[in-house]
Amino acid sequence: MLKLTLKQQPTVPLEAENISPDVTAGLANDAIRALHVHHGKRMCRLDEFFDVEGETSDDLEIHGDASRVKLIGRAMTRGRIKIVGNAGMHLGAYMKGGTIEVTGNASDWVGAEMTNGLIRIAGNSGGQAGAAYRGSLAGMKGGTIIIGGNAGLEVGMRMKRGIIVVKGLVRDFAGLQMKGGTLFLLGGAEIRTGAWMFRGTIVSLHPLKLLPTFAASCAYNPSFLGIYAKHLATLGISIPHEAKDGAYHRYCGDSSVPGHGEILIWKGLATSVP
Amino acid sequence: MIYWGGNPAECHPRHFTKYSLMQKGKFTPNGRKDRTMVLVDIRETPSAKAADLFLQIRPGKDFEMLSALRAIVKGQRVNEETVAETGLTVAQLQDLAAQMKAARFGIIFFGMGLSMTRGKHMNSAQILMLAAEMNAFTKFVAMPMRGHGNVTGADVVMRYTTGYPFGVNLCRGYPRFNPGEFSTVDLLVRGDNDACLVLGADPGATMPQPAIDHLARIPTITLDPKVTHTSRLSRVHITTAVTGISAPGTAYRMDEIPLPLRPALKSPYPTDEEVVRRIRQAVARRPAWLPGRNGKAAI
Repeated sequence: MLKLTLKQQPTVPLEAENISPDVTAGLANDAIRALHVHHGKRMCRLDEFFDVEGETSDDLEIHGDASRVKLIGRAMTRGRIKIVGNAGMHLGAYMKGGTIEVTGNASDWVGAEMTNGLIRIAGNSGGQAGAAYRGSLAGMKGGTIIIGGNAGLEVGMRMKRGIIVVKGLVRDFAGLQMKGGTLFLLGGAEIRTGAWMFRGTIVSLHPLKLLPTFAASCAYNPSFLGIYAKHLATLGISIPHEAKDGAYHRYCGDSSVPGHGEILIWKGLATSVP
Repeated sequence: MIYWGGNPAECHPRHFTKYSLMQKGKFTPNGRKDRTMVLVDIRETPSAKAADLFLQIRPGKDFEMLSALRAIVKGQRVNEETVAETGLTVAQLQDLAAQMKAARFGIIFFGMGLSMTRGKHMNSAQILMLAAEMNAFTKFVAMPMRGHGNVTGADVVMRYTTGYPFGVNLCRGYPRFNPGEFSTVDLLVRGDNDACLVLGADPGATMPQPAIDHLARIPTITLDPKVTHTSRLSRVHITTAVTGISAPGTAYRMDEIPLPLRPALKSPYPTDEEVVRRIRQAVARRPAWLPGRNGKAAI
């Protein structure tokens, strides 16, 4: 396992897309130390900011508060990155495979436009997780993002496929302009959830304040949630999905687009379908 | 003509008489009598007196109302109870949609009451989408009512030099656009920059406290004709001539028409352009940073 330890906080954000198993695997430690990172306008060597130890492999561990280190694991296709501490913006953006774990918090644009792989944040995340970049048509097209704490604005913006699970509270515009995929809001969300959504599914275990352009459809137990429940159980997440757990109220919209998205709000045992 | 979240009677006093409401045109020979004006705001401002229809909505409900309006324009159903939370009824929105469709040429002017409240850029996007969709029925445009300073000019120049209006990063030698990451207020709040040149703005008076604190921490250089909140917390304040009064230049009107400015008075102070040119010359005398030149970055 290759271990990178942050030895000095960058004065301005560090752009380090070379911190990825695709780049480091197969390189000798000296070559890894010479990899370049962008510190503001200046291109620097990786070892100006990180101590490099261990043997090169697909397994990479970063120690320290990397909240000002951007683009870690950008477009990675394999391997594993574990960040013991916080992570900066664009973590796992354009990711195509592999696993990223963060023990602390992560900043904005986690897994933006990713197509495969797993990102797991133990703490809070910033906004735009799994989102599309400005001007881009589609956000994440596959893979899974799991956020243990709260999340910021525009989570899952324009996502097309894949799964995002947020255990804490999500701020405004969750699932903005969603085109597909599934967003699980286990801790609920603030306002304007599902605005402009075309397709896709948002599942909330807490009541949501919906836009006037969502219409109540029915209350039922969607059978497809059982499949998701099985998959999420392998990742250590449980969601109510059986009839005894209670029904979900289904709302469809956003009719201002007009779209065919659905929001499922769990009503608990009190409203279980007979 | 719809004014949304703005108070032109007080903030843009010449707007009604010179540019929008009162002016006579080829297809509006009677000026004001040929136009219908709607004002949407959270309180009855002096502009409401000039309006044919005033719609008072609850604070922070612009996005919800615009969502409902967009659905109604397309003939979609909306939830009456949720619409009522905006302070208006579905019937009022249907009436507004009918008036908008009946217009020969509609325009929406939206102010900071819309663009700077909760939702910010999404509120602006919503109103721009509404204007775009109205073109399925009639000609419709939307235009922002800008705040102090020549914001439109900054946007226009950034757009034709980099391709993006704001929030541009040039660190890698090419422009990258990402509002929220590279926009000024976000950079300052996160403390992502270690120096700042302020030109034609007073962020010390308008930005959030963490941004102001960061401006005070880092070397900030301000170019301004007068002492401002920002210049007080700057390391260097260079007094410059007032553009349009004692310095020539170009200002962009809110509809992006460039207006050349001719100075009426002389000033003992240099112009902004001259100061920036001299700073640039001084910077150019220092060796440029290039990969491999400074030893440390031999990669």
